[in-house]
Amino acid sequence: MRSSKLLLALVLAAVVARASDSIPAVRPAGPVLLRGATVHTVSGADLAATDVLLRDGKVSAIGQKLAAPKGTTVVDVAGKHLYPGLISAFSGMGLSETASVRGSVDLSETGGLNPNARAQPAINPDSEHIPVSRANGILTALTVPQTTGLIAGVSTLIRMDGWTYEDLTIRPAVALHLRWPNLTINRDPSFPRPVADQQRAIDDNLKKIRDAFATARAYLKAKEGAGKPIDTDLRWEAMIPALRGEMPVFVYANEAREIESAIEWAKTEKLKITILGGLEAWKVADLLKQNDVPVIVGPVLTLPLHREDPFDATYANPGKLFAAGVRFCIANDGDNAELGNQADRNLPYQAGKAAAYGLPPSEALKAITLYPAQLLGVANELGSIEVGKRATLIVTDGDPIEMPTHVERAYIDGASIDLSNHHTRLYEKYQKKYEQLKANKT
Amino acid sequence: MLALAAASLAAQVSSTPIEGLRDASPRVHAITGARIVTSPGAVIEKGTLVIRDGIVAAVGAEADVKIPADARIWSADGKTIYAGLIEPLADVSLPGALKTEALTAGGGRGGGGRGGVLAAAVPAETIAPAAVARSWNPRVTPERDVAKVLAVDERGATALRELGFTSAAVTPGRGIFRGESALVNLSGRAPNAALVRAHLAQHVAFELSNFRENAYPDSLMGCIALIRQTLLDAQWLQSARDAWQKNPGTQRPEENASLSALADYVAARKPVVIEAQDELDVLRAQKIADEFKLKLVLRTRGTDYRVANAIAAAKAPVIVPLNFPAAPEVETPDKAADVSLATLQHWELAPSNAARLTAKGVPVAFTTAGLATPATQFWTNVRLAVKRGLAPDAALAAVTTAPAKMLGVDDLVGAIAPGKLGNVIIATGDLFATDSTAEITDVWIDGDHFETPAAEKVDVRGTWKMAWRGATAPDELKIETRSGPSGGGAAGAGAGGGGRPSARLGDKVLTMVQSRDQLTLLAPAEVFLGKDAKGTVRLAGTVKGNSAEGSGLLPDGTEFRWSAERTSTPEKPAGPAAREEKSLANADNWPAGAYGRKGIPAQPEWLLVKNATIWTSGSAGRIVGGDLLVHAGKTEQVGKNLSAPAGATVIDAAGKHVSAGLIDCHSHTAISRGVNEATSAVTVEVRVGDVVDATDVGIYRELAGGLTVANLLHGSANPMGGQNQVIKLRWGAMPEELKFAGAKPGVKFALGENVKQSNRTITPGVAARYPQTRMGVEQIMADTFARARDYERDWSDWSSGKSPLPPRRDLRLEAALEILHGDRIVHIHSYRQDEVLTFIRLAQREKLTVGTFQHILEGYKVADEIAKLGAGGSCFTDWWAYKNEVVDAIPYDGAMMRAAGVVVSFNSDDNELARRLNSEAAKAVKYGGVPEDEALKFVTLNPAKQLRIDDRVGSLEPGKDADFVIWSASPLSTYARAEQTWIDGRCYFSLADDAAMRAAATSEREALAQKALTERMRALAAGGGAAAGGGRGGAGSAAPAEPPSVIRALQAMEEIRAHEFQSIYHDGADTINCSTHALQ
Repeated sequence: MRSSKLLLALVLAAVVARASDSIPAVRPAGPVLLRGATVHTVSGADLAATDVLLRDGKVSAIGQKLAAPKGTTVVDVAGKHLYPGLISAFSGMGLSETASVRGSVDLSETGGLNPNARAQPAINPDSEHIPVSRANGILTALTVPQTTGLIAGVSTLIRMDGWTYEDLTIRPAVALHLRWPNLTINRDPSFPRPVADQQRAIDDNLKKIRDAFATARAYLKAKEGAGKPIDTDLRWEAMIPALRGEMPVFVYANEAREIESAIEWAKTEKLKITILGGLEAWKVADLLKQNDVPVIVGPVLTLPLHREDPFDATYANPGKLFAAGVRFCIANDGDNAELGNQADRNLPYQAGKAAAYGLPPSEALKAITLYPAQLLGVANELGSIEVGKRATLIVTDGDPIEMPTHVERAYIDGASIDLSNHHTRLYEKYQKKYEQLKANKT
Repeated sequence: MLALAAASLAAQVSSTPIEGLRDASPRVHAITGARIVTSPGAVIEKGTLVIRDGIVAAVGAEADVKIPADARIWSADGKTIYAGLIEPLADVSLPGALKTEALTAGGGRGGGGRGGVLAAAVPAETIAPAAVARSWNPRVTPERDVAKVLAVDERGATALRELGFTSAAVTPGRGIFRGESALVNLSGRAPNAALVRAHLAQHVAFELSNFRENAYPDSLMGCIALIRQTLLDAQWLQSARDAWQKNPGTQRPEENASLSALADYVAARKPVVIEAQDELDVLRAQKIADEFKLKLVLRTRGTDYRVANAIAAAKAPVIVPLNFPAAPEVETPDKAADVSLATLQHWELAPSNAARLTAKGVPVAFTTAGLATPATQFWTNVRLAVKRGLAPDAALAAVTTAPAKMLGVDDLVGAIAPGKLGNVIIATGDLFATDSTAEITDVWIDGDHFETPAAEKVDVRGTWKMAWRGATAPDELKIETRSGPSGGGAAGAGAGGGGRPSARLGDKVLTMVQSRDQLTLLAPAEVFLGKDAKGTVRLAGTVKGNSAEGSGLLPDGTEFRWSAERTSTPEKPAGPAAREEKSLANADNWPAGAYGRKGIPAQPEWLLVKNATIWTSGSAGRIVGGDLLVHAGKTEQVGKNLSAPAGATVIDAAGKHVSAGLIDCHSHTAISRGVNEATSAVTVEVRVGDVVDATDVGIYRELAGGLTVANLLHGSANPMGGQNQVIKLRWGAMPEELKFAGAKPGVKFALGENVKQSNRTITPGVAARYPQTRMGVEQIMADTFARARDYERDWSDWSSGKSPLPPRRDLRLEAALEILHGDRIVHIHSYRQDEVLTFIRLAQREKLTVGTFQHILEGYKVADEIAKLGAGGSCFTDWWAYKNEVVDAIPYDGAMMRAAGVVVSFNSDDNELARRLNSEAAKAVKYGGVPEDEALKFVTLNPAKQLRIDDRVGSLEPGKDADFVIWSASPLSTYARAEQTWIDGRCYFSLADDAAMRAAATSEREALAQKALTERMRALAAGGGAAAGGGRGGAGSAAPAEPPSVIRALQAMEEIRAHEFQSIYHDGADTINCSTHALQ
């Protein structure tokens, strides 16, 4: 029994330890000129038959018939489409490999209050999820720690190529992540847990959040005012940037009442928050607009939360936020990242469904490019094709939001990246099997 | 509380030796002068009732009945006599372990109370009699005979008796086959005196094992399969033992007390009471009863009105509860958001349930089971039912003749007639009038006489004119009822009024204490002795009708006397304001709640959809600018420039796309209470078709995504799972009507991690289920098929006369045989190529018909072998990183299998993905370059082929069912929206209808909420607002006082039950897939 368990553990370890076979890109020796594509700048108009020059990792020129400086690699992409790389604003990229294999999952630290848990040092740059996702145009991702409690930790923005997590890192610390407690009370008389008990649990959780912030503020005050060193507490230390307004607070909340409650709390704490999840943001769009609270909607492709909700409640959510003037972007199911990472490559289809149910198609594209860049504070570098921004973009044979479209090339910071992955390699390998079978037959 | 046994102690002829002097008091009683309701509708205005030795000797008009000379005469002038009430589902006198598990931690079943809750902690094993030749399954205890375990339960009997009940069917409360009930008289006497008749009925409930028990059955479908097998076994055992007796020397069939105990029930000599948790269970109970020709009595939870037609058609009588819900808490938007329309509707309609059933001719009996406080709720709710349309006679029948007849004891009880038991009640008036304040004063059981507290109640309220002798004080004493929290207790309140009486002498409030006719008043001395007097004056007296007299003591000890005459009685206070008679709730919609509809949509005779791009998925390919002509639910023609007969419904679909209705080859939508029977490794006897849930809103949501057919599969927890059910998504139809008639029967098998329980925690000391490896998976399948062949031989040996003993019908092996014979096709959940190939070899050896490999993530590695077998591949498009066996899953799988000649479909296995299979199909274009029309077939024609229904659905071709979808754009486009979904030429979904349904639900909801608010305001004003605790942010109203230790003791259990809790009209957010329960 013992030996077979050990064996099992070894087998699992072998799987977990398997690294992606993709080799990180070589930084190009000189400029790269992408010639003749339709350029979907996102921030501005679509430009037909336009050239884009990539230099030193940045977009250095956009125009028709650009001259190629000496040493430029010219790539003919006539008839193709250029888009900024897609941004997955709510993912667990690098923190989870195989959902049911615990040894491969580092999403959620134990304990309910983990402001000092940082995603960055746990990101596995050899995760197979990275090449699989970027094959579909996902070139940037926010890796978000999860929690079964209230404060999850600090997220990291990564680019989807590199040898180490440090190579991957765009911003090591993007936001402090809270998970708002479930505020729903089940009043069905046959529900086994008494209402008063449920209320008590809710009150306790809300108090814990208030207490954590009050304690952290007291810690900061003591640290600044004591005039001598105080004992270090890593948790409160990690919250200081958020308390000083240097780091935004992202609150995971889906039900309308949770969003309301989080906004009310943020007002009393004088914190700028962003809602993550936001499945029922449409129900409180006015409140979000009024308080200028943005929403990272994730996902769109999910069931309505309540039986009586309209069938399209989640599909129509982004369109309604747009109509109400709420700042938003569209993301994956980052709260379910064990399973969600495998769907990260489907990010564009989240936006497509929103477009089918009320969001203008041009907004759907922005919702997975420019808007996430804005909400993550990197709009000066990413999210659109503009001179001076990072040369992180994709070349496609069509609208990336439509499924049959292929990403044919992708550049991260000007370097052409490998779009193959475990899936394409197996595809090629097993085509060989059938070729051999055929050959043997004839 | 007082129960006075005035008559002889020897109720029956008894074997108990007499100690001391014998009691030979005459046992002949004549009750005279009363209005006697002998049975519903039969009234003697002024009659005489003679009870001799506990039996009704005579009843009739005063003039017709001669009072026997030896009778003691009891005057009941002005009173009304009814037959004593019968409780059909009592747990009085039951040992705690047999009481029903209460539904809530805080209350639950009447009588059961806390005891019921704690009983839930008792594992089934400990209540099944040990060391008896009985069923292998601890929940199958039909041999349990309540009559053998009755205890004296004076308190329980008294509580029921004071409500007017004279007898009760004591019913065992735990298990699937729970055992036999017994009729007990509620005299509170020893069981040998109180027991009237044993073996009344067999009680059956759909009880599942706790998820930690891991004992068969843990799903509703498993439970029904077990019931079916048990009934078959009972039929078999009888014949097998008979055959054995006649053929000595042959193999001996087992002895089995459980099965023997069912003999009367499988022969329909006695009733089987099946308990339904919801209206879907009602239909299931009816199906079981039909199949086995049982004499069915339904015991329901009161939502019967939703399926009243089906109940009426089946003609089985019904026992309904009286626990009508309190008005839902809708006073804040936050609370209101949690109240579903179905909840509001049920609040509105529950009291009319009995009326709606009796209107259709269904015999109805009431039970107090489920009432938190029967003492205050029972009569209130009976009268509310009358107010909501139940004829008073029907209400009387529901507590007397109907339960008597259902349980086969109408020869003894339920009506007043010579020869029946002298079980009667005497009331102060008509008990069944809606505004009745009549009370029961006397109860006769077996010739024993009991007075109720109401008999002793003296109403002292009114204005009294005082006469003082030896003291001076104001001469007006007013005693009235203060409004306030209703005590409601039987003893406290005066007749007809709730609240606590208070007394005033002049303008001063006195402290008042009343005990029956004894009145004590304490007055401040100043009332008697002037402003500055200190101390308290004591008054005590006796009330007799409208006069009273007594004495008093001044503070200095001076005695005085007083007398009083009542000059006026208080006006009858308005009772709780009557609910309006007109129902605001939509009782005819099905399912209840939002998006229900009145029956299925109309079918136009002729229908023409014009000018669309039609993706036929058939030989005609894609027709741009095409027309679709439909006649009587079938596709008539597809082409260009078609014309329809005059009067046809015409839809101009210019700019739109039309496809065949989408088909999901792997769904777990619309399955009640358990997708997996996750206990045994082989459970091919369980049937998804037994548990189709037509109320699952998933059906509607999937229709809105263009889905028209779904293959409802058992989960993947065991190598050989359960039987599947193909349905059409006919939202608004009953479960049986959803079924796809003629679809090839199938079964779910599974391989790999789930079935070998790789992701379960290994508990030391607990034997793991076989198999735990892929080696064992193959072997258990081979073993099952070998057993099935042997089973077949047993039957042929018997039918050819080789063996004299009839074989036992084994539904598990019969299903396995159907598979071997190709009558049932296999859908097998599979991942890795090795296990797939192993199963292919097994299938080839056993000549199985494999409909599909499901998920089949490594199908691309052995696609040639799958094609050779002729099996389909029904895969996930691009799921790949959720467990170890899927790390080689690639999105090119479908395209590669197709290239090898496999019929490929894309499935959902997920209630959300099932809403957008159209665009999912486009992934076959992306990954592997499948042509567009062929890709769409992955969700239309190909799954139809895999399910062997392609002669009916899957493409738009003449003669096939008119199942189609009108899309706003190419169905493969991410931007496409299903605008209309048609099944059988009926429009089951359209965006326009959806908008109308939303609006209708909102207005119905708001109307009901307004009505609920008026009741809530009354409840809040009375301080009794807490149907449940406080709201968000508030402190919440006080928790019910409950010893913390009890809470703690219950906590573990609550956790389990919270886990298992599923309300029927669930929140719709379920993300059930085939691993639900399998991954624990």
